Amino acid sequence: MRPPYPVTRLAPGLRLAPLAAMLILLGCRGMSSPFPPIHPNPNMDYQERYDPQEASDFFYDGMAMRQPVAGTVARGQLNVDHRLLFGRDDEGYFLDSSPVPASDEVLARGRDRYAIYCQPCHDERGTGQGILFERAATPTATLHDELRLGYSDGRLYDIITNGSGLMAGYRYPLTVEDRWAIVSYVRELQEERRTMEAERAARQ
Amino acid sequence: MSTGSGHRPPRTYWRSLEQVRGDSRATEFLHREFPPDASEAPAKLLEDGVSRRSVLAMLGATTSLAGLTGCEIIRRPVEHIVPYVDAPEGMVPGVPLEYATTMPLGNRALGLLMESHDGRPTKVEGNERHPSSGGASSVWAQASILDLYDPDRSKTVRFGDQASSWNEFVAAWTEGDLAPAADGSGLAVLAEPSSSPTMLRLKSALLERYPQARWVTWQPVSDENVDRGVESAAGDHYHALYHLERARVLLSLDSDLLSTEGDSVRNLRGYARSRRAGDNGSPEMLRHYAVDGVHSLTAANADHRLRVQSGRVAAFVARLGHAFAAQGMELPLEGAAAAEDIDDDWVEAVARDLLDHRGAGLIVAGDRQPAEVHAAVYALNSMLGNIGATVTYHQTPDTGTSSDADLAALVAAMNEGTVDRLLVLGANPAYSVPADLDFAAALENTGSSGAVIHVGTHLDETSRFARWHIPLAHYLESWGDARATDGTASVVQPLIEPLWGARSALEVLALAALGEPRDGRDLVRETWSELLGLPLDDGAEAEAPAPAEEAAEAEPEDASEEAEAPPVDPMSLPFPVALSEFEVAWRRVLHDGVQEGSALPAAELTTVAPEDCAAAVQAAGDAAGPVAAGEEYEVVFRSSPALYDGRFANNGWLQELPDPITKLTWDNAALVSPATADALGLENEDLITVTRSERELELPVWKVPGQADHTVTIDLGYGRDFGGRIASTANDEDHTPGANAYLLRTSNALHFGRCALRASGGSYALAQTQDHHSMEGRPIVKEADLDYFEEHPDFATAHSEKPHENSMWDEWTYEDSPQWGMTIDLNACVGCNACVVACQSENNVPIVGKEQVIEGREMHWLRIDRYFSDEGESRGMLRDLVRDLPAEPQTSFQPVPCMQCENAPCEQVCPVAATVHDGEGLNAMVYNRCIGTRYCSNNCPYKVRRFNYFNFTKDTPEVMKLGKNPDVTIRSRGVMEKCTYCVQRISRAKVDAKQDGRPLADGDVVTACQQACPADAIRFGDITDAASGVSEAKASPRNYNLLDDLHTKPRTTYLAKLRHPNRDITPAPPPAEDHGEERAGHGEDAH
Repeated sequence: MRPPYPVTRLAPGLRLAPLAAMLILLGCRGMSSPFPPIHPNPNMDYQERYDPQEASDFFYDGMAMRQPVAGTVARGQLNVDHRLLFGRDDEGYFLDSSPVPASDEVLARGRDRYAIYCQPCHDERGTGQGILFERAATPTATLHDELRLGYSDGRLYDIITNGSGLMAGYRYPLTVEDRWAIVSYVRELQEERRTMEAERAARQ
Repeated sequence: MSTGSGHRPPRTYWRSLEQVRGDSRATEFLHREFPPDASEAPAKLLEDGVSRRSVLAMLGATTSLAGLTGCEIIRRPVEHIVPYVDAPEGMVPGVPLEYATTMPLGNRALGLLMESHDGRPTKVEGNERHPSSGGASSVWAQASILDLYDPDRSKTVRFGDQASSWNEFVAAWTEGDLAPAADGSGLAVLAEPSSSPTMLRLKSALLERYPQARWVTWQPVSDENVDRGVESAAGDHYHALYHLERARVLLSLDSDLLSTEGDSVRNLRGYARSRRAGDNGSPEMLRHYAVDGVHSLTAANADHRLRVQSGRVAAFVARLGHAFAAQGMELPLEGAAAAEDIDDDWVEAVARDLLDHRGAGLIVAGDRQPAEVHAAVYALNSMLGNIGATVTYHQTPDTGTSSDADLAALVAAMNEGTVDRLLVLGANPAYSVPADLDFAAALENTGSSGAVIHVGTHLDETSRFARWHIPLAHYLESWGDARATDGTASVVQPLIEPLWGARSALEVLALAALGEPRDGRDLVRETWSELLGLPLDDGAEAEAPAPAEEAAEAEPEDASEEAEAPPVDPMSLPFPVALSEFEVAWRRVLHDGVQEGSALPAAELTTVAPEDCAAAVQAAGDAAGPVAAGEEYEVVFRSSPALYDGRFANNGWLQELPDPITKLTWDNAALVSPATADALGLENEDLITVTRSERELELPVWKVPGQADHTVTIDLGYGRDFGGRIASTANDEDHTPGANAYLLRTSNALHFGRCALRASGGSYALAQTQDHHSMEGRPIVKEADLDYFEEHPDFATAHSEKPHENSMWDEWTYEDSPQWGMTIDLNACVGCNACVVACQSENNVPIVGKEQVIEGREMHWLRIDRYFSDEGESRGMLRDLVRDLPAEPQTSFQPVPCMQCENAPCEQVCPVAATVHDGEGLNAMVYNRCIGTRYCSNNCPYKVRRFNYFNFTKDTPEVMKLGKNPDVTIRSRGVMEKCTYCVQRISRAKVDAKQDGRPLADGDVVTACQQACPADAIRFGDITDAASGVSEAKASPRNYNLLDDLHTKPRTTYLAKLRHPNRDITPAPPPAEDHGEERAGHGEDAH
């Protein structure tokens, strides 16, 4: 029976048009667009405040994060012990041994921090065969050659702090205490390796 | 002391006169939280779109209506991550650091600990090592952070109307036409008093270089009278330091020592400690008598109050002297000093109490009182043995006392034309100098022949007359130093580089005094080298990089050496890093915020001889004016508890902060007693004209019970013509900045004087908050006299209605620790408002503007309810009281944050689960679930929920965004919000504890209100830990739940207030016949 109202029917050639349109739209999935995504409900997602690392038009450098004013001292950061802070003695020479005694806690902390910050390049044994060396062939120093074995504790600390060669300085993510803990842990690694090699030599 | 038995007589509590009277609007606020058209935009907004004023008010201080195109709304904004290029050592993005610094205010200093997020200061806290702060802070300190990010600040050096630069100014001063005469004749400096050692050094250097130069120290509200009075009595220049924690009897004479005068934070700490002492049988509780005409915060907290006109306080002192003499004190006074307006029995009782507490009593006179009163008070304190015990005097060096005489001499010289270089350092004299001196004319005169140099934070009334204007740096962006009243020296450490390249007062002064531009830090370090007694290591200091930079610099140098001399390992060369002795000591000062042991010993003062004391008392009596009566009224000019002398006028937080007593916001008013208003036939908001020697000021009336009759009090600091969009009308003719009381203030009546009052017809809408968020007349504030409490320690809970045993709802079971709870000790709280601003700062609470406050839409998460009360059972409706409205009610304050109920009524009605309970007992808000039904707020018996009627933070200027707390969500339009117990602080403490591998300890979480409270009235912590401070407080017999009968089981509870009346003045009421009817305290209105 004919329905009591006019029925429009798509021309036969257009019958597949909706399907085609759907396929075309689906085809857009995963394609890049120069515009940011559509976000109809603002939902307080973008806040009238500055979160860490956000950009700001207010400052000439476009950063909302500021440098602390030169010469100011924050609470808990009263670093006046140059032995601890720079690993150098009164005359300015590197300290031979760490000013932080290597207790079990310090070594545990050192192992923990080493695993996070050092291991990707230096690997867990300190031989410089870490994941970055493996995949990107980044030349990485071993901690067990003559040169490094000869470094004083103060110098190791200085390298962790300020970097050396390709290595960046780690004074930003690591506190002074953590850096000394890593020095102690590296010393332990070196000692372990030396014992191992001595044993191997004895066996041969 | 009489400790006769007595029962607590019934009292009636009310919030406003309108409520007592049953005024329709107040009733409406009482019955309906949201007025009928609360959901509508204000009429004005509907009429002409969004008026400039509404926008201004809504946004606080905003620059433009930045239009958002449709696309930008729909599309997610492009955001970039901008990390540090050279990350500073010891700073993790998102983890706040704390820096010790000092906020100078005139010659006072408040030690602070600033919270800094990613190098931007965001929150003010008190420095517990600083003697004037003791870890707490004031309203002004809390709000000062907003001044730093004020978009209306002056941004560039100006020469005339044109932008100029600091270098051009330096050139003009050193070799150009601005250079003063070689001997300094014609050079004048107008500066506020300062306790800064560097300022003092530079002042001496300036006067040495230019011997003919004139230095005028002046501030519109100052302690000049105190200094002059003490100087005449003690023979030398001393600053008084009150030790209220040792006092048992306090007599305050027209003094606002808890709010606007002196070391208020320190005073408040001591006051609260001695008030608390009555608890649990510890030492005697402080008894406070107040004699004044203004109902100030200090007066409101007194146990006994005598209302006298401010000009009659001197007569009271004389009367008190006679009372001492009559009671056996060796005081050769002649004649009688009886006065009609002073109650003899009252004075005798006070004198007896002070004599009984020799060495533990204290008389304090306010800054407004003449020097004669201060001299007499000093002498009386001395004879009572209070000096050295409850008050000590210190010779703290400063740049001089504010001097009105010097100012008048300067104006005379300017008018004569003998001043050709006027350097105005930080002050705004064109606005605040007494009207009769006509400073504007003097400035014009100087400007025509010479040059006025204005150093100020804003382009204001004074800068209009200045040839040169130099933007003044905020204390948070400049180096400086200051001394506390006891002499403890501290450094003003900057938290951020000047936002708009402003200069500190020290740097400008150094240019004038030393003839060359100097760095502020070097100037302060030079002074401190002397203070610390250690030589400044100039070589190291010249480079003076932060240690990290120093080490970093070492590398390239060494690397270049490597190429030249390969055999030597350059890294093995010495690189001196050891710090000089000065550097170590200096950094310790910066770290701690104070120089240990720099407090000066109290001066050894001889007791005043009886004859001298008698003479001083006599002189005070002679200084008293007659009682203002008939056509004559007394006008009192007082520094505003919010805007101080007007310097905080562009601060939206302070403008919207309800006055502690009147609860007025955004305006000042002519405060009169109800009796005076009735005599003049005036109602609240009616306009009157105050006339003083042909100077007129029109402003609205506000009735304040407790104000002395025949007096009118006007707050200073309002009615600015320039100085920013909030402060003034400059950019918006609709905006009303209040009335400028300085226009009435003349040199012969700086603090109070005679005036005529005339109703000028018409009225003016004032925005007050006292009827808002009312709790429907149920027992809310509970208080008792100390002797009653000793007999009935359970008075706070004994007679309250018992809650239902069973709840309709499944009750929460809390198995985990911690469970958060809070107590607010009403006995310690004085109602100073510091917590309100601290909460606003911490939680990004917007300001809404005057129109919105009138609609009852203020957003403060924490409000302070102020109740007036009077003896007598409320007879049915409060309205019955109207015939004999008490002129001298008692005042009670009650801070009300969210109660965080365990059976929260709000949670039960939210249709979208936007307010939910968490496992630690917090009643949490999920902002983006909220659809704005406001059911929760309707169902909240405590009225602590706030609704965003508009997007109050849209179009926030960039610079203001810098100061927002990044840890707290900024709420958008249509969202309900309320106190969260500072959940972001709880989370941070938990993260910190977890990182350190330790359990959360009591005291790890400190809420913003708790941190700011100088009275230590707020305790917060884990209520499952029996040893925590909050559990201890909850165990007190004074602990009670607000509206306990509703069985909401609030986590926030109150400790009932105690008063310590003198039974010679207020006799103990007879024991009640029927104990059952006796009520410890009850509601404002018995329905």
